[in-house]
Amino acid sequence: MLSTLLASDVVAPFSSPKIDYHALAPELVLAGVIVAVLLADLFLEESKKWVLSTIAGFGLLAAFIPIVTLAVSGHRARSMFGGAYVVDTYSLLVKGIFLLAGYVVVLLSQNYLEEGDYYQGEYYFLLLSSILGMVMMGSSRDLVTIFVSLEFLSIPAYMLAAWRKRDLKSNEAGTKYYLLGVFASAVMLYGMSLLYGDTGTTILKGIGAKLQNGSMSPVAVLGIVFVIIGFAFKVSAVPFHNWAPDTYQGAPTPITAFLSVASKAAGFVALINLIYVAFPHGGDVFQPMIGVMAASTMTLGNVMALRQTNIVRMLAYSSISQGGFILMPLAVAGGKSSGNALTAIVTYLAVYAATNLGLFAVIIAVSRKTRSGEVSSWGGLFSYAPLLGVLATAFLASLAGIPPLGGWVAKFGAFRAVITSGTNWGYALAIVGAVNSVIAFGYYGSLMREIWMKPVPDGDTAPIRTPSSLNAALMICGGATLALGVVPGIILRFSDIIKL
Amino acid sequence: MSQLLRSYLTVAMFGAIGVLLAALLLAISALVRPNRPNADKSKVYESGVDPIGDGWSQSQIRYYVFALLFVIFDVETVFIFPWATQLERYAGFGLLEMGIFVFVLLLGLVYAWRKGVLRWV
Amino acid sequence: MLTDHNWILTVGVFLPLAGVLIMLFIPKEEESLNKAIAIITAAVTLAVGIATMAWFKYGSDSSKLQFHVDVAWIPAIKSRYIIGLDGVSMPLYILSMVITLLVMIYSWDHIPEPGNAKAFMILMLILQTGMAGTFVAQDLILFFVFFEVVLLPMYFMIGVWGGEQRQYASLKFFLYTMFGSALMLVAFLALFFQTGAQSFSLEYLYAHSSMISTNVAVWIFAGMFVGFAVKVPMFPFHTWLPDAHTQAPTQGSVILAAILLKLGTYGFIRIAIPTLPQAAVKWAPVIGVLAVIGIIYGALGCLAQTDMKRLIAFSSVAHMGFVMLGISTLTQFGINAAVYGMVAHGLITGMLFFLAGSIKNRYHTLEIAKMGGILKRIPRLGWILGMCAMASLGLPGLAGFWGEFPAILSAYSPFHNDYVHLSQPLFRTLMVIAAIGTVLAAGYLLWMFQRVAFGEASPLIAGDVDADGNDLHAGAHAGDHAGDHLVGERGHGAVPFSVGAAGNADPHAEVHDVGIFEWIAWTPLLIGIVVLGAYPDLMFKVLNGSVTKLLAPVQALTGK
Repeated sequence: MLSTLLASDVVAPFSSPKIDYHALAPELVLAGVIVAVLLADLFLEESKKWVLSTIAGFGLLAAFIPIVTLAVSGHRARSMFGGAYVVDTYSLLVKGIFLLAGYVVVLLSQNYLEEGDYYQGEYYFLLLSSILGMVMMGSSRDLVTIFVSLEFLSIPAYMLAAWRKRDLKSNEAGTKYYLLGVFASAVMLYGMSLLYGDTGTTILKGIGAKLQNGSMSPVAVLGIVFVIIGFAFKVSAVPFHNWAPDTYQGAPTPITAFLSVASKAAGFVALINLIYVAFPHGGDVFQPMIGVMAASTMTLGNVMALRQTNIVRMLAYSSISQGGFILMPLAVAGGKSSGNALTAIVTYLAVYAATNLGLFAVIIAVSRKTRSGEVSSWGGLFSYAPLLGVLATAFLASLAGIPPLGGWVAKFGAFRAVITSGTNWGYALAIVGAVNSVIAFGYYGSLMREIWMKPVPDGDTAPIRTPSSLNAALMICGGATLALGVVPGIILRFSDIIKL
Repeated sequence: MSQLLRSYLTVAMFGAIGVLLAALLLAISALVRPNRPNADKSKVYESGVDPIGDGWSQSQIRYYVFALLFVIFDVETVFIFPWATQLERYAGFGLLEMGIFVFVLLLGLVYAWRKGVLRWV
Repeated sequence: MLTDHNWILTVGVFLPLAGVLIMLFIPKEEESLNKAIAIITAAVTLAVGIATMAWFKYGSDSSKLQFHVDVAWIPAIKSRYIIGLDGVSMPLYILSMVITLLVMIYSWDHIPEPGNAKAFMILMLILQTGMAGTFVAQDLILFFVFFEVVLLPMYFMIGVWGGEQRQYASLKFFLYTMFGSALMLVAFLALFFQTGAQSFSLEYLYAHSSMISTNVAVWIFAGMFVGFAVKVPMFPFHTWLPDAHTQAPTQGSVILAAILLKLGTYGFIRIAIPTLPQAAVKWAPVIGVLAVIGIIYGALGCLAQTDMKRLIAFSSVAHMGFVMLGISTLTQFGINAAVYGMVAHGLITGMLFFLAGSIKNRYHTLEIAKMGGILKRIPRLGWILGMCAMASLGLPGLAGFWGEFPAILSAYSPFHNDYVHLSQPLFRTLMVIAAIGTVLAAGYLLWMFQRVAFGEASPLIAGDVDADGNDLHAGAHAGDHAGDHLVGERGHGAVPFSVGAAGNADPHAEVHDVGIFEWIAWTPLLIGIVVLGAYPDLMFKVLNGSVTKLLAPVQALTGK
């Protein structure tokens, strides 16, 4: 957009841009819901604030409707604003993932907020804003649009991380997240400015046409490296991961779920947009870098997770390590397994969202009773809450990649992508991944051990009462995790046809 | 592989130059500037007055909220002025867009009003 | 299509899950009902299995894949739901059903600490689906999924219902196996891409194995080797096995020994060798050497054990060494012997673990030194133990012999054709060492039997055993575990069935001899051991055609 503004003649007659309202419908619906939530919060009495979560939840589902109608409408791609905003099968798929993940987070938040006595209106307002940013990220095909989407999704998340404002750890969480996030934005913006300077356009497709392997200017190389580093912060890839454990531990648990799933997924979506559209011929530059990052991310995340005694912190490192697995296919993007890599990442994101959100739902449910975040507080969970115990086991097994739960499809796709590349790099990465998936079971297994084999720590075996919204979240995630593992076709048939 | 190394060499050189430049500037200024310490210079600067109390004293939050409100509506004019100069050119489309823009900002005002920000006491 | 009865495999594999679904809706307090449903499910599953056997076409057709189903499953990754049964998989498929049913019957009055029969039975049913599925899968991804499905139930079975060191043992079991299967998956994928990324179907992979250069194939084989060798387990990867077996509850040990170990050897025969014949020839000497090391190492390990269960576990290492030796010869003779050995080992070692479990129930120890005179106190159990020990050491006329002896014999003349041959001197040396292994086997088994069975009846560990042979300690920990009051109920439920099983004239007859549920659970295994020992051709006839077919890619090697 910036480029078109700069290039256009100031006195030329103005014609209003053609806007495809159907294509923008999900964003428009979401924007409407955001306004509705804000207004409703202002004029509702304190006792009726529960309406807000209902509006937010139904709003997210309403925004999902146009995604379905767009998907069945048959247009393969609707491009707007000179190619800066594209609605295609890929973006529809990731938008769908964001919206459904957002819906589950709303379900998780409902009782957490009501019982914890937190501000509700602003919470849902910020949450929805962040989701809107993610939905926009799915379609962003322009450096400026990407940047705006990124800030749109990040800034509300900074505030949400610090939502438990009387808790020192939550303040730390918000501050760290904010400072490092802003730093990452700065690095990324610098990279973007270099790219713009080198290629003269902010449209990703235009950049892609200018950047060619071998004949790339040093400035462009710097640009690519800085942009990727910026997003490496966002997806908490090693060595840019330091904020994640503290932030995850301090933030309210539903927000931790949101950050570790949706926000991370948005970072990956942005990376995909950039790498597949802007740097498809820059493999020489980004592949080794991402490969090394992927290997060190999964390894370090795993090794650190082994030592944790706090569940959320353990999951923070687990999510870092899972991020390494998602990065793995990106390390071979641009080569002959490009298509496989794209399928693998999107599939992984979907499976990971279902599984991790489910696990956080269990954590929230259990901590309603135990009021503790320590691993040992889960002792004997199976004996007094068998359903939660089995669900937690299923989610952990899925994260560990054990069939027939969803995780194996995700891991399988990632391995498939790196092995198709046929390079030694690819095989080496696959071996590192294989070894890591074993290490990961060390801590997933230790949680399972608590659930099944340890005694109840305080002998209190009263069953856990879970509110209906939490039950719904558990059922959605549990069902999705199992279904994705048994009939992977339900996600693969979509993620396999997407192209960029 | 050499191509690969060359790519990353650029990045490494860039980083090295960045560090060197900063170090160089600090070094030059350290060499060139006169060094005459006195007691007043090491004081915490506070409008030229001797500091009173500790650094963590509280200030009225309302100043902050008002400042924020001011900035929002101040920036609003920055967008409205250029639009106003081209009002006829952008015609109906421009009017609609600006209407949405002002509406969203208005929501902010309503929010501030309902939350009691506009009352001073 | 229905005339082929090809639905029957799918039903046979997934029927246990239907039982699981029903059990999910029954509260765990309904202990007997839960057990009954599980046993009925397993029995119906076995009935389906027997129908499968009846419809199976024997003779020259036994080499074909029967009940073949091939439908789309995950089109995006070119993986299909392909299942089928041939002569090699059929015995193992049926064995898994038989063992599961027997183990469940045994569980009627032997649910280990800390109770909760519902969860225990559900895990066994899931295990059954995983095991049966592995034996019928004809697509690598499907195979992988079933192969992994058995992991978690077994992990929990050892970890929750196991002995003192259960948590350590279960985690060790899991990490070892998972490490193997992770590398195996990478190898599967590499195989897939090296053959043109067309299909994961085994049939396709057999036909296109020559597309892979030997150098690459050797590496892919290495990945599979680790995956399967951990499961077998072969010598350097075996250390999880003694721990897992010793700590697992009886039921877990039996299933582990009888079926799970076979998944590894089956993988070699079904996947690794036919899809990568050129690499199999390179690896065969390594496998052979490791197998023989396993035989000797396992036997020496046995001689050093003081714990009966641990001794049986080490004997498994040795026996699986014979199986692997047979496989490593890459000859029809050797692989026939290997499959025979797998089934025989399943029956015999499964039976031995049952016995060890029952002895532990009565004596509360498995220290060989503390037992003695079992023949006096519980003669029937003692004689069964004697028979199984004989079968295990390879006495002609019992099943063990036909697994062990031909395997050794096959090493005399390992695989060779006009272009490729395995080193004859090496394999003949291995043959001699393996033969020494059988002597050692006779040594440790007889020694064990002698110390346990003969002599004066050793004093019981007082006060531990009630009239039913049930554990009185069970109540002592009540309150620690939510399910514990159920253990008490179990005692009452068991009384009517156990009374009358006594028949011991010994004055210290607090210990019951073999109980009714033990009889039901053990008789089929004992019959199997005798029948397979007396009439080995019963199974060799079924195996031979399929083995020939699986070895065809190896036969066709041209050495290029």
